[in-house]
This record gives sequence, C-alpha cells and structure tokens, in this order.
Amino acid sequence: MEDAKKSQTKVIEVRDLALKIDDHQILSDINFSIDTGKFVGLIGPNGAGKSSLLRSLYRYTTPTTGEIVFLGKSLCHYSRQDYARQVAVVLQEIPDHFNLSVFDVVAMGVLPHKSLFSAVSLQDKLAVASAIDKVGLSDKTRQPFSYLSGGEKQRVLIARAIVQQPVFLIMDEPTSHLDVKYQIQIMELAKSLNITVLASFHDLNLAGALCDEILVLKEGALVADGKPLDVFNAQLLADVYGVCASVSSVSCPYEGIEQVPHIRYHYGYAL
Amino acid sequence: MKRIVTICVLFFGCVFSFFMALKLGAIDITGEHVFNALWQYQANDFSQKIVFELRLPRVILAFIAGSGLALAGLILQTVTRNPLADPYLFGISSGASFGVVLLFALTGIQAGLAFSGAAFAGSLLAMTLLLLIAKGRGSAQVEAMLLAGVALSFLFSAFTSLLLYWSDPQAISAILFWNLGSFSRADWQWLWLPSFVVCACMLVMLLLRRSINALLLGDESATTLGVSVEKLRLGMLLLSSLLTAVLVAMCGGVGFVGLMIPHIVRFFVSQATTLGLFATALSGGLLMIWVDVIARVALENQELPIGVITSAIGSVFFLGLLMFRKRSA
Repeated sequence: MEDAKKSQTKVIEVRDLALKIDDHQILSDINFSIDTGKFVGLIGPNGAGKSSLLRSLYRYTTPTTGEIVFLGKSLCHYSRQDYARQVAVVLQEIPDHFNLSVFDVVAMGVLPHKSLFSAVSLQDKLAVASAIDKVGLSDKTRQPFSYLSGGEKQRVLIARAIVQQPVFLIMDEPTSHLDVKYQIQIMELAKSLNITVLASFHDLNLAGALCDEILVLKEGALVADGKPLDVFNAQLLADVYGVCASVSSVSCPYEGIEQVPHIRYHYGYAL
Repeated sequence: MKRIVTICVLFFGCVFSFFMALKLGAIDITGEHVFNALWQYQANDFSQKIVFELRLPRVILAFIAGSGLALAGLILQTVTRNPLADPYLFGISSGASFGVVLLFALTGIQAGLAFSGAAFAGSLLAMTLLLLIAKGRGSAQVEAMLLAGVALSFLFSAFTSLLLYWSDPQAISAILFWNLGSFSRADWQWLWLPSFVVCACMLVMLLLRRSINALLLGDESATTLGVSVEKLRLGMLLLSSLLTAVLVAMCGGVGFVGLMIPHIVRFFVSQATTLGLFATALSGGLLMIWVDVIARVALENQELPIGVITSAIGSVFFLGLLMFRKRSA
C-alpha cells in the first residue's frame, strides 16, 4: 500500500544502475528518482556519462546491472511502443536530407499511438497543427525541415514530443550549438509543458535558473543531487569541472522560486 | 489540391502509357485493335495476338519491375538514411550475375527457367551474406551494411569476371546482354511471381510506413518513438533484397531506377505520406514502360538493352534536376 502510494509521486526511479561497454565502465552505482512535475537538470563535463545515462532511460542502451522503474513498473515490463506513449525524447541533432517538411517530422509523434492499420485522423492533424502552433512555427508548417535554423529545428522536435503526449520528457543537450536566446527559449518551452522533464545542460547558469533539481555526474558516478542552490558551490565546480568559480545567489525571475545560484568563472589558468 | 493533381497525373499517365506501349513497337498496331485485344480478344487475329500474347505481359512486367525497383530503392535509402543507396549497391545484382555465370560455366545453359533460377539463387546468396554481416551490429549497423554491400559486390564481380575469362566469347555476349536487362522474357506463365512480390512488398511498406520513415530521424530518435530499429532494418533489407532478386532474375540488371525514382519523387511529394509511397511506385512503373517502348522502337529490327536506356536517361535527367535545384534554392 505504501509502495503504491510512493510510486504515484515518482515518475522514474533508478536503482543501482551500472553500464559497461567493452570493458569500459561507463556508469556505476547510479541511484536517483524524479518526482512528478519536476524539471530536473543533468549536468557534468564531457564524457561524464550524461548521454549514456539518458540512453539507458530512453531504452537505447540496456544497462548492465540495476533497475529502472517507470511509474511503479520496471522498464522491462513495458513494450517499446507502450513506453513511447509515455516518454518522449528530444535529441540534439537529426539527419536531414530527405525533404521532410516540418509537418512530417512533427507528425511522427503520433507513431506510438497508432496501430499498423490506422490512418492519420483529422484529430491527429489538429494535434500536430496545434503543437506546431505552440512552438511558434505555424508559418513554416510546409517548409522543408532542413531549411530551418538550429533553434527552429529544436522547436520542431519539441513539437513532435508534444504530439507524443508524454508524461515524461527527456532532452539530451537540446540547446548546445544554439544562441543564448534560443537556449533560453527552448528550455522555457519545455518548462511550459508542465510535465516531468529530465534534460542535460551545458550552461550551468541556465540549469541553475530553470531546474527544480540538479543531478551531477562525474566519471560515470552521481556525485550530487539536490536543489540548484544546494548543489552548486565552488568546491563542487572545482571537483567536477576542474574550474575555479564563485557562486552567488541572485533573485529569480520565476514565481515560486526566490533565489537561484549564479556562477561566475575565474579565468587565467594558462598563466 | 496538390494531392489530387498528383494522383490524377500519375493515374492518367499510367493508363495512357499502357495504351501507347501496347500500340507502339516493331509493328504499329491501331488503337482499335489494342482496344479489341483487351476487351474482346480473338486469338485468330494476328495483331490482337501480338498485343495480348507479347506486348501486354511485357508492358505489365516493365511496370511491375519499375515499381519494384523504385520501392526497393526507397526502402534502402530510407533504412540506411543514405540517399545514394540503391538495390545494386548491396551486391544483389552482382550475386545474380555470379549465379548466372556459374550455372553457365557448369552446365552451359544460357536461357530459360534454370537461368532465372540461378540468378535468384545468386542474389539470395549475396543477401544472406549481407544479412549475416549486418546482424547484431547495433549502432554501427548502417555502416556495416553499406561497406559489406560494396565489398560483396566487388567479390562477386571478381568471381564472375574470372569465370567469364574462362568461358567462350559467344556465351560472354549472351551473359552481358542479360546483365544489361530486357523484358523480352516476359510471358503470362511467370508474371504472377514478380506481381505478387511487388504487391506484397507495397502492402508491407504501407503498414510499416510510419516506422520506416521514423528511421529518417536517426536510430536513437526512432527507438524513442517505439520502433525496434535493428529488427525493422533487417526485415526491410530482406524485403528489398527479395524484391530485387525476383526482378533481376526476370529482367536482368536494370540499374539507376532504384536510385533515381525515389529522388525525383522526393522533390515533389514528401515520402512521409502514403501518397509519396504510391507516387514512387507509379513513377517507377511509368518510367519503365516508356524505357521499354524506347528499347523496342529506337532501332529497327533490333532491341536495345534496358539498362543502357535507364542509365542514359537517368543520369541526364538527374544532372538536369540537380542544376535546376541549385539555381532555385
């Protein structure tokens, strides 16, 4: 009874997860859980295992040991399609030389909800159109996806995720290569969906300002987990990223949160 | 609106082409005779006999082969996400040639059912090797497939050349002619096989079209949409290989259609739609009917090999389209 109650508040729970590929220990001993409705940021230097962890969560790789529990049920009890109905993923880049239009890409979000024989209904088309509208690209619906800018492409992928109607959204560095404006725009867009989100970030200040919680990975291990203000400090940044920085607390533009951490890096390492 | 126009153009194009292809040839047959041959066939009328016994199966085979090769090309380009993929890139036609040449070297047979059978067996061999290599590669599957396909292609070509080197010149010309493709072997008795395979393949593609197109987003994204990427890709590879093997066995090597048609169609219709799939199949068939007509009428008392015409038309049209696109973009 208690277990059932607990599982309702947690979207995903990761227990003792480890991943080994060709004798390389990629991830080890990962334990965390994400509460419903939280916006969680995953940070860590390049090669820390952020993408590998996310891949395990969206089932592209199977962890060597450990268990992932989604909505109270172990991941292995979900069929691929069932899982795709509840979890949407936005990745960094997609190949684009096949003349797909924006509409086509977004419409792929209905795939998990369709059986082999069903056609795309008017309702689906409306859902696709409203998702495109939501990310502000209505005027580009019929344009080829490859003509869009990086920020627009990322918004299209988010629209596709919206069409998937997920309860949980995973984003793997959706904002790298983007200008500051679009970094903020993409992340705020994800936040506005009001679903549980796990996203990996490069920009620590952006992560600190937007996330409810932060997970920090270093060399395949989870070294910190908590509220941004509690997680970010000079010592952690020195340990994990090897940079010298000072962390201050500044007032926050969001309602419900008063203060967010602000990181200022120090320079001059070469000297 | 665009949909309706596309469908109408293709449909009436096909009807018109069928009619013209039945009419044109070494002997020009009047429209009336063609019409009679189709609706009130009389076996003792000579020109009706030509239409019904010779031209009709041939035109149907050309149409089927064109559609099938275009579909096979579309499948391969989509599942490998490589716009240059083509049924012939994967060693399937080299395998077929190898089978044919081997049969000839061992038994001296130059035509007939055994000949087609050998072509089919050769393609199956190539396909099996390719599937074994591509299986269980995970994220490196596409690269493994493309590289293995090219390697197999060269391997079979080497064996074929070696066997040809030992054969007598007359046989070489027969085999070379076969390799360039022809629809002259079409007859009613065997038409069901390619028709069935192409229709079945079309049906499978219609059912799986969403999953297949999801592969265009990349393996990872497709996985997150609930697609079992590796299984789907192997299945599709099997399907397109079967398609190519059957068609190569019936018509010999007809290059460029599988590469060209999906590209051309993609310029006009998105391949993510059902319409795109039909448009690809119909355009492939349409092109092939006219290629066959040209093969029959271009030279008097002689038939041109299909492969020569497809490659010539294909490359010119393709270059033209590229130039045009460059200017408009």
